[in-house]
Amino acid sequence: MNDRLENLAKQLGTDAANRLDVEATARKVVERLREQPVRRIAWVQRTWLRIAAALVLVLGGAVVASRLTPGRRPGVSAHPAHLVADDLGDLSTDELRDVLATFDELISPDSVAVPEGSTDLHELDAQQLRAVLRSLEG
Amino acid sequence: MAQPHMVPAAHDTALIAAWQAGDEQAAAELVRRHARPLARFLASAGAPDSDVDDLVQETFIRAFRSVDRFRGQCQFRTWLLTIGGNVLKDFGRRAARRKVLPLDEAVRDVTGDPHEHAEAREAEAMLAAGLQQLPRLQREVFLLRAQQGLEYAEIATALATTPGAARVHYHHAVRRLKEIVK
Repeated sequence: MNDRLENLAKQLGTDAANRLDVEATARKVVERLREQPVRRIAWVQRTWLRIAAALVLVLGGAVVASRLTPGRRPGVSAHPAHLVADDLGDLSTDELRDVLATFDELISPDSVAVPEGSTDLHELDAQQLRAVLRSLEG
Repeated sequence: MAQPHMVPAAHDTALIAAWQAGDEQAAAELVRRHARPLARFLASAGAPDSDVDDLVQETFIRAFRSVDRFRGQCQFRTWLLTIGGNVLKDFGRRAARRKVLPLDEAVRDVTGDPHEHAEAREAEAMLAAGLQQLPRLQREVFLLRAQQGLEYAEIATALATTPGAARVHYHHAVRRLKEIVK
């Protein structure tokens, strides 16, 4: 019975195969393959879309990961903000007082964060003067 | 079990390489070599006679466009036949959406007067109808083994299964077909 089935299976589709015009099929296949560049462009476009989507996922994941990482606050860079007051580190106490006196002339005294209990810049030491300058920078 | 009709693998590989290098005649030669066995496989697996030509073309187009994925894991023809199986499956889905005749009803007329047909034709028709009742994997394993004469190892590679599983599918198919054809 197995042999009979196999023999029958070998006969199946023989008519369809014999009717096939092989040369015409080969010619049509080659003609359709010539149209492939159009498909390739479409493939390239799909590929770039996938790459863009992957980039969005990676960047989004990085943002989420950075927010979840302990010890780092969002919006705070690993490098501290550059303060102008830091550039004044080489100035002497008198020079710092001169700088602040110039500020006094430019801005209202009410907006200057003078340390509590002090009314005169001459009473402040260099460290306190730098703190005032930093407060002026916001 | 007859030995498979072995197309020299190296020659097919050389033609594939030539096609990849832009030689259209290499593609045409591959079509000439394998179109008829592919048509026989598709017709046996349920392709309506009127659509066999289109399905053969579609199978070759898909094969050539994805030939980079063929790395000689099996014969080119075996790989081609499995692509043909996928093309036929997609065709069946489209046909179902268009609400045309289901694939198994479109295969061939099995209700004709048996006196008008030779006995062999009748048995073939019964087998064809029986094949449509099998699960796809059983049907493809049966055809690759019984019709194309492939070894279980080759079938397993092409269908991403094991030789043991391919053997089981084949025997299940034979058992069911015997009940139908007897």
